[in-house]
Amino acid sequence: MDYKGDIYYIEQILAGNSNSFSYIVDRHKNKAYNLAFRICGNHEEAEELAQDSFVKAYRSLGGFKMKSSFATWLYRIVYNTTISHLRIKKKGVLSLEDFPADATDFIGSNTNEEEAEREYRSSLVNFALQKITEEERGLISLYYYDEMSTDEISDITGITKSNIKVKLFRARQKMQEIIEKIEKKKLIYHE
Amino acid sequence: MNNQKKQTKDFLRQYIDPERIEKAPEGFTSKVMTRIQLEKQPSEVAQNVWRKNSVPVISGAVILLLLAAAFLMPGRESDSMALPVLKLFKNIKSSLPEVNFSSVFSLTLPSVLMYVFIGIFVLTLFDRALYRIFHREK
Repeated sequence: MDYKGDIYYIEQILAGNSNSFSYIVDRHKNKAYNLAFRICGNHEEAEELAQDSFVKAYRSLGGFKMKSSFATWLYRIVYNTTISHLRIKKKGVLSLEDFPADATDFIGSNTNEEEAEREYRSSLVNFALQKITEEERGLISLYYYDEMSTDEISDITGITKSNIKVKLFRARQKMQEIIEKIEKKKLIYHE
Repeated sequence: MNNQKKQTKDFLRQYIDPERIEKAPEGFTSKVMTRIQLEKQPSEVAQNVWRKNSVPVISGAVILLLLAAAFLMPGRESDSMALPVLKLFKNIKSSLPEVNFSSVFSLTLPSVLMYVFIGIFVLTLFDRALYRIFHREK
């Protein structure tokens, strides 16, 4: 079935057809889940947080202004829900030693070399993401994975455009340092 | 500085593949919808004007009742706020020009304060009770 657009389904829900919300969930679940996962770094927590965000969005649908983008509004809920959850929880800090020196730990039974390398890089990024602040993780995720502009990120996070650029630059630098250190460690391990 | 910025940006692009997003697990939508079924319809909540305004309306009604009670139910003959009002009505019935307005303003401060404090106390109790009733689901 063709997706008729967010506004169509929102109007259906507000008219009393709550089942229409399932189309909206289906449409946005992957991006919402991905954002929560990139910020919290844990699949179970990400699922819980993404679900909470959809429930919150449903409850507040009456207050959604149809003129703005529903996706931006929804991601704002996901971002805020995840960030505030992590601020309450406050995780322990990972050390570089926690990242396995042998890349094959990530490859597992994957025989395709290219896919294995992608898997390794993805794990490396996920690890580096856990070494930066939750706010920086959110910005990196929105900028790189969702390929959003600084304007869109500003709408979601409430951070000014110039501040986003500064924070993104710092986050990139931190991640680069972490990745480079791990790559060096990997080279030493294989020598 | 700009070169350094670009280099750092490019560096991260080598590792991050936007196509590689983490997908929501199986049954995600049905789990959300199960939780949604337990929620109230947002449209119903938005359209329920009575529910939105019930607290101030009920509180206002109670204030009016208390004020009416304070004026119309005399306790003691000497210390009643209703007495000057009743006298005023009697005066109006007999002869309009003979109305003694000074008796209305001759209320002593302590007797008024007592009613005010009782009113605040009752309203506070009432407010707590209403809060419990209307916030039970949350």
